[in-house]
Amino acid sequence: MDVRFENVSKTFGKSAVVDQLNLASDDGELVVLLGPSGCGKTTTLRMLAGLEDATSGDIFIGDERVNDIPTQNRDIAMVFQNYALYPHMTIAQNIAYPLRVRKIARDEINRRVNRVAEMLEIGALLERRPRELSGGERQRVALARAIIREPRVYLMDEPLSNLDAKLRVQMRGELKRLQHDLGTTTIYVTHDQAEAMTLAHRVAVMRAGKLQQFDTPMNIYNRPANRFVAEFVGSPSMNFIEGRVDHSSYKFASDALTLDLDESHLARLSGRDRVTLGIRPEHIEVSTADHPGWLAATVYVTELMGNETFVFLRVGGEKIIARASAEFRAEFESRVFVKIQMERTDFFDSKTGLRI
Amino acid sequence: MSERYAARKVAKSQSPAKQGRPGATRTRLARWSKYVLLSAAVLAAVTPVYWMVTISLKSEVDQFASPPRWFAFTPTLAHYYDAFFTRSFAKYLTTSLTVAGLSTICAVTLGTLAAYGLARFKLRGKLDQRLSLWILSTRMFPPIVTAVPLFLMMRDLRLLNTITSLVIVYTALNLPFVVWMMRGFFRELPRELEEAAMVDGDSRLGALVRVILPLVTPGLAATAVFCLIVSWNEFLLALVLTQTDASMTLPVGIAGRVTQYEIKWGVMSAAGVVAMIPILAFAMAVQRYLVRGLSL
Repeated sequence: MDVRFENVSKTFGKSAVVDQLNLASDDGELVVLLGPSGCGKTTTLRMLAGLEDATSGDIFIGDERVNDIPTQNRDIAMVFQNYALYPHMTIAQNIAYPLRVRKIARDEINRRVNRVAEMLEIGALLERRPRELSGGERQRVALARAIIREPRVYLMDEPLSNLDAKLRVQMRGELKRLQHDLGTTTIYVTHDQAEAMTLAHRVAVMRAGKLQQFDTPMNIYNRPANRFVAEFVGSPSMNFIEGRVDHSSYKFASDALTLDLDESHLARLSGRDRVTLGIRPEHIEVSTADHPGWLAATVYVTELMGNETFVFLRVGGEKIIARASAEFRAEFESRVFVKIQMERTDFFDSKTGLRI
Repeated sequence: MSERYAARKVAKSQSPAKQGRPGATRTRLARWSKYVLLSAAVLAAVTPVYWMVTISLKSEVDQFASPPRWFAFTPTLAHYYDAFFTRSFAKYLTTSLTVAGLSTICAVTLGTLAAYGLARFKLRGKLDQRLSLWILSTRMFPPIVTAVPLFLMMRDLRLLNTITSLVIVYTALNLPFVVWMMRGFFRELPRELEEAAMVDGDSRLGALVRVILPLVTPGLAATAVFCLIVSWNEFLLALVLTQTDASMTLPVGIAGRVTQYEIKWGVMSAAGVVAMIPILAFAMAVQRYLVRGLSL
């Protein structure tokens, strides 16, 4: 079932936590709400769940406006960040709870609990209690409790953030596959851009209660709507250089460096003076040997990641990060040369931050 | 034992030999003084109870013997017979049980619901906090100041000398306590638990009954014991509100044996011993919750 937010706002006192949100998912889609803490993503999810009231605007599940429908009648399932398993019940009772409150026959409940437990490989844990389980096992139980019914929408509030790194990557994959197999619309909240990129059909990036961009992971990464999105998505982060455009000499000049522009750049930048140039670390080439037209830089530090190296550089007064191969070696403060791939640059309005 | 010995040996070998001994002596001294203090406290608590129990079993001659007969006397059940068969103490006991039981049930039920609301819902203008404080403030004056107003109210309601009046008054007396205790217990539970229950399709009341209350059972038990003790032992308001044999509670009935001409020590002690039993039994029944509830 599709989900729609139409001009939804939520204010606490005078501050708007969610500000005029418009967002519509397709049926069966996995939408990730991505943003730093306090951006309103969790509040958005909780409004959809009915755990918070929207101050204004309309929320739809399918064609039904759900604003005034209490949580228990919205036909949704949710996975909480801390899992919220019922400590006094066994795992089987936890998973069965959504069916039990619907007064489904005991045989039917047992059958479905066993099926779901088998699916998530927690069949051996059914008689235990939540506190006896590891974090990963609890996560699976929380998932099992959500998928035992066939709700209209799944809501997930940072479900993986309490797991260790290795398990998180594993569960991420399993979640994606599970959502694909179930084909149920899922709204997933996270602050982890890697989770957003890997899981989502579409990502909604939020900041300070406002939707910044709602698009596929590819477009979010390659065509960020503004500087905030560009900076938030990608690791290491995109480099930004403030400067001026000199239309007559085809140059972009910051305090520290000067770069050549071509016709297509100038066409995009026509009528503009101050702009911010954005370039991703993988679009900066680094070499210890000088090439014609490359810029001289000083190595601040290098970080070998195993399969690649992050090189933190100073070019003039600018600090930039480049991604080099794992073979790249350079001493602290040694002199290297960089080439910024001008065809891969993005430009942002220096004032509004919007992509040009 | 060997472990402790080894530990001491290590401590000795690490520090100068002189420091090993006084340290050990000091911990032993600390342990012994702890036992001595605890024994003194137990003695102070148990002696009056023991004296009451023996008085209830002693003939009147033995009661006033000088020097006092701590152990050597001929036990008799005459006072028990006197209290519960000749006099109306059996009736007082039933009244006390009814009043304490009903008022505890009322106070715990109403108080728990109120506490849940105050713990979970934010009201405009911090009204939830103001309400909580106001509820607490009703316990800040001595109950005696309410005695006369309560007497007049109960008289006008024609509830004097009824069990109902005591149940109402004791419920009111215990409510603030229940609200504050239970509010604390509810606040310690993560909100997500009942949110999860509601997302799973349960109503808020269902979530409270099926998820939240089972998790605060220890607190509930501790609170109920307190209420029961307060209602059971309350004397002053019961004295003001009830005068007839049919409506009198045990504390009032026992005190009534102090008369102008004589004090019926034996009857009073016999009733006192019996009065201890229900509270003791209830406390033991919920003991396994009680320790957790009190330490929460």
